[in-house]
Amino acid sequence: MTSMPGKPSFPLDTPVDFVIVGSGSAGGILAKELSTAGFDVVILEQGPYRKAADFRHDELSVIFRDELLGGGTAASGQTFRHDADETAVRPRRQPAQYAQTVGGSSAHFTANFWRFRDIDFRERSALDSIAGTNFADWPITYDELEPYYTKVDWEIGVSGAPGPNDARRSKPFPLPPMPVKSSGVLMERGAKELGLTCQPEPHAILSQPFNGRAACINCGYCMFFGCEVGAKSSTLAAMIPLAEASGRCEIRAECAAYRVETDANGRASEVLYYDPDGNQRGQKAKAVILSANGVETPRLLLMSASARHPDGLANSSGFVGRNLMFNAHSVANGVFEEPLNDYKGVQVTRIIHDFYDADPARGFYGGGGLDARPLWSATPILHALEGMPPDVPSWGAAFKDEIAHNFTRQMSIVGSTTSLAQDRNNVTLDPESRDRWGRPAARITYRDHDDDLAMATFLQDHGMALLDAAGATKAWRRPVEPGTNSAHLLGTCRMGDDPATSVVNRDHRSHDVPNLFLCDGSSFVTSGRGQPTMTIMALAFRAADRIKAAAAANAI
Amino acid sequence: MSHQNTCTRRGFMGGAAATGAGAFLRLGAPALAAITQAACGARDDGNAFAVLGADAARDLAAMAARILPTTDTPGASEAGVIHFIDQALGDAMADSLPFVLEQLEALDASVGGRFAALDAAAQDAALAGIEDGPFFSLVYMMTIFGFFSMSRYGGNRDHVGWKLIGFDGHHGAWQYPFGYYDAEAQRGDVDAG
Repeated sequence: MTSMPGKPSFPLDTPVDFVIVGSGSAGGILAKELSTAGFDVVILEQGPYRKAADFRHDELSVIFRDELLGGGTAASGQTFRHDADETAVRPRRQPAQYAQTVGGSSAHFTANFWRFRDIDFRERSALDSIAGTNFADWPITYDELEPYYTKVDWEIGVSGAPGPNDARRSKPFPLPPMPVKSSGVLMERGAKELGLTCQPEPHAILSQPFNGRAACINCGYCMFFGCEVGAKSSTLAAMIPLAEASGRCEIRAECAAYRVETDANGRASEVLYYDPDGNQRGQKAKAVILSANGVETPRLLLMSASARHPDGLANSSGFVGRNLMFNAHSVANGVFEEPLNDYKGVQVTRIIHDFYDADPARGFYGGGGLDARPLWSATPILHALEGMPPDVPSWGAAFKDEIAHNFTRQMSIVGSTTSLAQDRNNVTLDPESRDRWGRPAARITYRDHDDDLAMATFLQDHGMALLDAAGATKAWRRPVEPGTNSAHLLGTCRMGDDPATSVVNRDHRSHDVPNLFLCDGSSFVTSGRGQPTMTIMALAFRAADRIKAAAAANAI
Repeated sequence: MSHQNTCTRRGFMGGAAATGAGAFLRLGAPALAAITQAACGARDDGNAFAVLGADAARDLAAMAARILPTTDTPGASEAGVIHFIDQALGDAMADSLPFVLEQLEALDASVGGRFAALDAAAQDAALAGIEDGPFFSLVYMMTIFGFFSMSRYGGNRDHVGWKLIGFDGHHGAWQYPFGYYDAEAQRGDVDAG
């Protein structure tokens, strides 16, 4: 029996090989890849170190008191406005929905897990420019990323089956798809009627035991919740244990970074942070990786402004914080005669990707996907507060009867779409609001492009038609409106070959600061069709290879 | 409709017609009586409230009971929602306590007596007048939370709320098939496409 290496504790004043800010979809993978390759790594994670057994089926706390989000806007101070001429205010619901916990948002996400397709990386060339936007091609292609999508499949653990128009894959899914639920059966029924194509949903959830981890027990608490058996393929379940087992990765939980320092040579030298007791600390580093998510990464760069970098670190382009993309969404709801009990098991088991590609005949840019899921009928409070048809009184006997009747019989068809990159959608530092550590809060300015909203409505029309064709006894929708919050935080430090119009290069290295790497949703150039986490993880595996190669060539 | 009257009303034991009552009815009458006794007993315990006085508790319980009324199925009263509200106003929502007490006084003043002492129709009329305001909205949220959140927060006694809607969420693990349509597809009764 080999003994486990002890937990390292790296001194603050001796430069460690890498400091990684964030332990989520990207940070967890980079930490595992670099530490197992022999580098010393310190992870700074602002959330606590929850383990699988700490996750609870407590809807009130998790969904309505923002337990995993670190306490919501009261703690984060985040503010929101649609347009730059408004004063941003703190809304009740957090605008940028990300988990503060080891594993980051990979711990609480719904685990829908789509690869991008070839077109997502070169759509600007395939179509045309779109006035008033920063619509652009990626500097990398699907073919360059494909080996890393496959690496995610096999290292993280992905369940699924190929669909008819999926991107090329070099290796099959490691695990079969999750069995179809009633919502999926009904979507298939509607799709058959309408001549559309249903396919199984891929999941970052284990349909069978894999790599020493347990399979899904169908508890139903995927969306917003952490997985108590570790079947959800979060970095907490799949990567962090390997990073720690290397003996070279120190996870400092409840440590909130507030500044990246640079030295006289313009290189990142130290990350300053608040430790769990609120003391200011600094970890010196040979290189720094920010994987803090599409809001926190640009925020930290903006907080790191100095005389040498007056507009924020790594921001000579002015693109830090710009081009925020949420993915627009729409919902169509239906009730059926018999119980679906769709609150059991994973959210989504069937999707339709017939509208993935943009089609000029629609009169607007965009593409997206449809999925069938319980959504509002996944948990009771959500159902009562959000899931009722508009023709039902909001309180009283009729309200109660409707909740009681619909909960087990209801499902939704969710449309998720592209978002266009625009200057007006961005992350800046709020001039007034501060978070619980005293750091300037993120101010989100966001208004979906009209084409994104049109695409969301287009998908919602199809959702309504599908519910009708599937035999819903009642179906309803609310008009698509500009989004005010999202868990998809994309595009705010985009990658590109031109330092004038991007923040990092194709290897995730900052154009301005040679030993500073940014890798997370902020790296995206386009938004994809609504499920970004698989691509964040693939980018992280690829970035790790590029960083290891640069280190081997002594080129960091 | 007073507190006590709501409690002693056993209307929901009466009929199987209403939707969602199935789980309750399968429990049988003795189990039902026990649930109701437990909920009422706890609520009527003079020491049960952490921050609410008896009058405020009666008014809030009455409001909750109009939002989720007791019909032929249980409502906010049977779920002990008032205990959730009391616990929340003493803890996570303590900031709202002064507002709630002030608004209750205003409500009582507007109806010329205690809200809880009105009959159901008069209570509904009074609530209809304030339903777009922040006070009703707050009590509404607390009622839904108290009916459907975990029992450890004080409400959803004996999982009354979950049983009403057919949610067995506390079980935690499930085997396929889950519902009617996936079972049908699994049996091959219909072509799932």
